[in-house]
Amino acid sequence: MELLMPGLGLVFWMTVAFGVVLYILKKYAWKPILNVLDAREKHLAKSFSDAKRIEHEVTQLAAMKSEKIAEAEKIYEEITVKAERDAEKIIADAREKAEQEAHEISEKTDKMMQQFKEEAFRKVKGQISDLSIEIAEKVLLEELSDRDRNSRYVSSLLEKIAVN
Amino acid sequence: MQALRDISGRAGTLLTAMVFVLLLTAFPATAADAGYKAKPEPSSGDFDARKVIVDHVLDSYYWHLFDIADRSYSIHLPVILIYEGRFYVFLSSRFDHGKADYKGFAVAKEGSRKGRAIRVLADGRTPDPDAATIYDFSITRNVLSIFIASGLLCLLFIKVGKSYRDADIYATPKGLPLFFEPLITFVRDQIAILAIGPEKYHRFMPYLLTAFFFIFFNNLLGLLPIFPGGSNVTGNISVTFVLAMFTFFTAHWYANKTYWKHMFNMPGVPLFLKFPIPILPVIEIAGAFIKPFTLMIRLFANMTAGHMVILSLTSLIFVLGSVSVFLGYSISPITVLFLVFINFLKILVSFLQAYIFTLFSAFFFGMAVPKDSH
Repeated sequence: MELLMPGLGLVFWMTVAFGVVLYILKKYAWKPILNVLDAREKHLAKSFSDAKRIEHEVTQLAAMKSEKIAEAEKIYEEITVKAERDAEKIIADAREKAEQEAHEISEKTDKMMQQFKEEAFRKVKGQISDLSIEIAEKVLLEELSDRDRNSRYVSSLLEKIAVN
Repeated sequence: MQALRDISGRAGTLLTAMVFVLLLTAFPATAADAGYKAKPEPSSGDFDARKVIVDHVLDSYYWHLFDIADRSYSIHLPVILIYEGRFYVFLSSRFDHGKADYKGFAVAKEGSRKGRAIRVLADGRTPDPDAATIYDFSITRNVLSIFIASGLLCLLFIKVGKSYRDADIYATPKGLPLFFEPLITFVRDQIAILAIGPEKYHRFMPYLLTAFFFIFFNNLLGLLPIFPGGSNVTGNISVTFVLAMFTFFTAHWYANKTYWKHMFNMPGVPLFLKFPIPILPVIEIAGAFIKPFTLMIRLFANMTAGHMVILSLTSLIFVLGSVSVFLGYSISPITVLFLVFINFLKILVSFLQAYIFTLFSAFFFGMAVPKDSH
């Protein structure tokens, strides 16, 4: 039965020892340890939620990125198509213009040629008349230089008149 | 990869620590312990196993260390008595292992105060029938064990606490914190939060942790067959009584209005259960005392039974040895194997009983701080 009888001394010392241990450990051990564990767990929870948030943001960014890329591709395509169209137009315009210019140039050339021709004709005509007069003059002078013949010719002419 | 190495490193450290503890405790040196107990009556050749076992699980004024060549070496602890308003302080060597008396005191050989100091008549043997009560505040073996365990606990956990105060809180714990952190989080998550709830467990954590580690340490020290272990501290009714009282007072110190209301005026039950004969209040109040009482008995009975099993098995060698030396030797390998097994079991029980005491205390606290009346 002595096993079941609480002893006064042991109860007293146990109370003192346990009380002191409880006080010391509460102050110097459990408080710092539990604080750190709490802080660590809060940190972990925060890191976890941060990671989740960042992951969400990254997916959003990725979606946004592919959206932007699609948009850019669309714009690129549009620009290319437009550029091609513009280029074609420019080329067509240039060709048209060139043709027109060429046409104008050829017309102008024709006109100039005509003018040159006319001028040349005019010049040639003038020269021809001058030359003709000169030739005529020379011929006449030549003709007139032979007095005997002329006198005979005139005498023949007078004879004809006289006969008439 | 780093993480994996960390984990394996942790497990390695834990495993090493556990193996170390197992080696220390499982070593069947309890045989030597029981051996000295056989000494008091070496002449008869009879081995009184019952006496050995009961003496061992009881408290004493000496702390036996070892025997060398028939000489027993013990620590004589101070005896502190208050008798008729006077202090008597002397070393227990004055009693000469119970053979001598000193200043009218002697060690009782039997009765309810067996092994404790009693008042004796002039012949130094017969108990004084007219003696007044002796208040015995001696530093007995169990008291010294408690002091040693308390000192060890304080040293260890102040060191652990300091490393937490100094270290980077996000770093992986190393060394002692690595060993104790899982236990601390276990007490918090599997005991306090489970039994009390996540809102109110904080204020009970210091007591729960202290109780858990106090019981756990004393249980393990009790398994050590040599000094400073071997005392049946947690298997002593005084110790479990004090622990249960701490639980009781902690619960009622923090108990809220709802708890008291449930105790004296349980809502939602017919009036005739409360008035004029207060059946329910009586049951509730009795329950408040029965809960710590069960805590006290459970821990005491489990630890004492464990010690008794170990001592019985050890004694078996000597009981059979006293019949025939050959029998004693031949039974010893089997007994030692069985002792190793029981010691392993006792390590589990050490943890289990610390866990159960703490868990049931926590449930008690949880009942003392209910959310609201229903």
